[in-house]
Amino acid sequence: MVKEEQEESSNRPDNTAFTQQRLPAWQPILSASIVIPMFLLIGAAFIGVGVALFITSRDIQLQELDYTGDDSEHPCFKCRTNTEKCTCSMTFSIPTLFKGPVFFYYGLTNYFQNQRKYGASKDDNQLYGDLDYFTNPSTDCDPYTRDSKNMPIVPCGALANSMFNDSFSLSHTVNGVQKIVPLDGKGIAWWTDYNIKYRNPTLNSVFFSGTKKPTNWPKPIYELDTTDVYNNGFINQDFLVWMRRAALPDFRKLYRRITHDDYADGLPAGNYTLTIAYNYPVHSFNGKKKVVLSNVSWMGGKNDFLGIAYIVVGSMCVVMSVVMLIVYARFKFAEDV
Amino acid sequence: LLGATAIEDKLQEGVPETIALLSLANIKIWVLTGDKQTAVNIGYSCKMLTDDMTEVFIIGGHTVQSVRQELGSKQLHCSSLPPSASGDMDSISGEFALIISGHSLAHALEADMEAEFVSTACACKAVICCRVTPLQKAQVVELIKKHKKAVTLAIGDGANDVSMIKAHIGVGISGQEGIQAVLASDYSFAQFRFLQRLLLVHGRWSYLRMCRFLCYFFYKNFAFTMVHFWFGFFCGFSAQTVYDQFFITLYNIVYTSLPVLAMGVFDQVITELYEPGQLNLLFNKKEFFICITQGIYTSVVLFFVPYAVLSDATQSNGVPLADYQTFAVTTATALVIVVTGFWTVFNHMFVWGSVGSYFTIMFALHSQTLFRIFPNAQNTLLQPVVWLTIALATAVCVVPVLAFRFLKLDLKPQLSDTVSVSEGRLGARGGSRRSGYAFSHQEGFGELITSGKNMRLSSLALANFASKHSSSWIE
Repeated sequence: MVKEEQEESSNRPDNTAFTQQRLPAWQPILSASIVIPMFLLIGAAFIGVGVALFITSRDIQLQELDYTGDDSEHPCFKCRTNTEKCTCSMTFSIPTLFKGPVFFYYGLTNYFQNQRKYGASKDDNQLYGDLDYFTNPSTDCDPYTRDSKNMPIVPCGALANSMFNDSFSLSHTVNGVQKIVPLDGKGIAWWTDYNIKYRNPTLNSVFFSGTKKPTNWPKPIYELDTTDVYNNGFINQDFLVWMRRAALPDFRKLYRRITHDDYADGLPAGNYTLTIAYNYPVHSFNGKKKVVLSNVSWMGGKNDFLGIAYIVVGSMCVVMSVVMLIVYARFKFAEDV
Repeated sequence: LLGATAIEDKLQEGVPETIALLSLANIKIWVLTGDKQTAVNIGYSCKMLTDDMTEVFIIGGHTVQSVRQELGSKQLHCSSLPPSASGDMDSISGEFALIISGHSLAHALEADMEAEFVSTACACKAVICCRVTPLQKAQVVELIKKHKKAVTLAIGDGANDVSMIKAHIGVGISGQEGIQAVLASDYSFAQFRFLQRLLLVHGRWSYLRMCRFLCYFFYKNFAFTMVHFWFGFFCGFSAQTVYDQFFITLYNIVYTSLPVLAMGVFDQVITELYEPGQLNLLFNKKEFFICITQGIYTSVVLFFVPYAVLSDATQSNGVPLADYQTFAVTTATALVIVVTGFWTVFNHMFVWGSVGSYFTIMFALHSQTLFRIFPNAQNTLLQPVVWLTIALATAVCVVPVLAFRFLKLDLKPQLSDTVSVSEGRLGARGGSRRSGYAFSHQEGFGELITSGKNMRLSSLALANFASKHSSSWIE
């Protein structure tokens, strides 16, 4: 009999809260006194945030200039079919002071940088400066790995090959005189791209001797910016900006900032001329090109959607809480009766 | 008369209450016993048979014809009463009990009669089979499994119950009669009354947890995967993933497995009846469809809200893809928070731990040491717009669900809200005519005993029955 008891106690499961499922717990019960005030609170908070966002967004200035030249009256229409270098210029006016710092973007539409094979077509090792991959680029870059003479391409791949190569300059008409607006191209790429992900081998053309530039480029990579060694080669800021793939087919990429000299406080009201070196063909896929001028705030660029969405969701919460109150009151009275 | 001996085989404590409760939960209870005349008294003492049952049928024929005839007449009797709305024999108005002895059972289990037997037996609230052999016990269980779409549970304590314990669920009672039943069973405990807790508490919780777990699992994967579907419209259907590769790998393993586990292990329900489990209410095609629809709705929100917000570039150029994964996991986790109905300390740990682990892993992966592999997400998380978008997407996902649940509570209250357990039904009944002990007791045996003949009674001991068939019973 004693043995049985001992056996029993060793088989007996632990009597702790965990094993006996008696853990103290909290179960959110959706009672009216909690849910309805909570909805009201959320609604009010969202409306508040939404209004703040909307007001901030309204203050941000944005100017877009489409320069694809689809319209025959457009100054850049002549450049569409021109295969050689073509320059066109557009004039526009700014009604009020465009507060600085002003950001200068170029934008493309119907351009799928997020296409999978396109985006995977590059060799990260090459871009890191690994010389082994100069002579032997990865097959990810196919068919842009080697040129017709079987020489390796640096940088290889479709992503690099399709680099945007229009260039812009902006001038301000002051008393009939065109004053150039200085554009600053420093620090437009991600810090980590510039400092870590992309590295140059020593920019000795010896290393590049066995290689060729990408098919559609006018100049090889080590001649992208011969004036500044910190902006040449793989760490060229425009190159880095291009290689950072956009997520959606209509995108903008940062080109320059306007922060120097007289324009540090912004672009004063007046007439401006934009001169474009039109090199990049987009009409074969119905794409459009544009230039965007914008300033920013704590919430980034102009973004009406966020403010409006918050206001809408907030007001719907308030409406829902009223509806729930009515339903609850009706049922409560129905029950009591 | 020098003396009399009596053997008392007491019922365990709590058996009548357990049986009453189980039959309230719409569980049919059959007793298969090797005992003879004690079986009926046991039936009364444990409240399987009650005094106010409409009728108690006895089938005790020895030949095939007599059994068939008895079965037929009982069935006619049952069906002559007004049937219930569904017309199914199982829910006939009026309470019947069936008592069948082992030798009749042998005939009733033959191929041509078994369907009839099953339908008659299932029309009864309680069935007692007495003098059954172990083989017959197994055969009865098989019969029910074959003919009825029901889950069967067999509970027994002796070696003769081992063959029966092959029902869907076998329960062994470890007690005086040794441990053979325990060894053959799926569950075992020491007292019959623990069956009540096993079925009505653990069984119910287990069903509930399984259903919620399944629903949640499908939901989170739908929400996660359908985002890629929507993104396909915007990336030329090139199968470009929205999320980072490592996020995809870790999503199911690390980020969302623990809250699900916590739900599966700890979830409980305070008040609900047993019916949802029997009627398959919590996870059927409709529920599955609802949870898929929720998953799709979530994926729409998770994709289009960031899409709309980030269509215009933010301060840093371009739109980092890393943003999508932030939203997806944060929103999905937010939803787990709402869906988890029952919070224990482990739930807290798991849910917040998962979110924390997500951010930790992300910052670690995107740190400068592992930098060459991953694009940088530090930029994006430092921007207020990103956090505002996360909050917006979370709210748009969660708020409608909350509102819907609240309205459902008011407009379509569950059984648990309307049923009030009346004390009269569950409390112990007032004394019945039958005593609490199982005596083999009937009028007229005193003479047999005093006459000194050595005899064994081989059948049931109902007073009116004995008076009709006394002669045939004595071997």
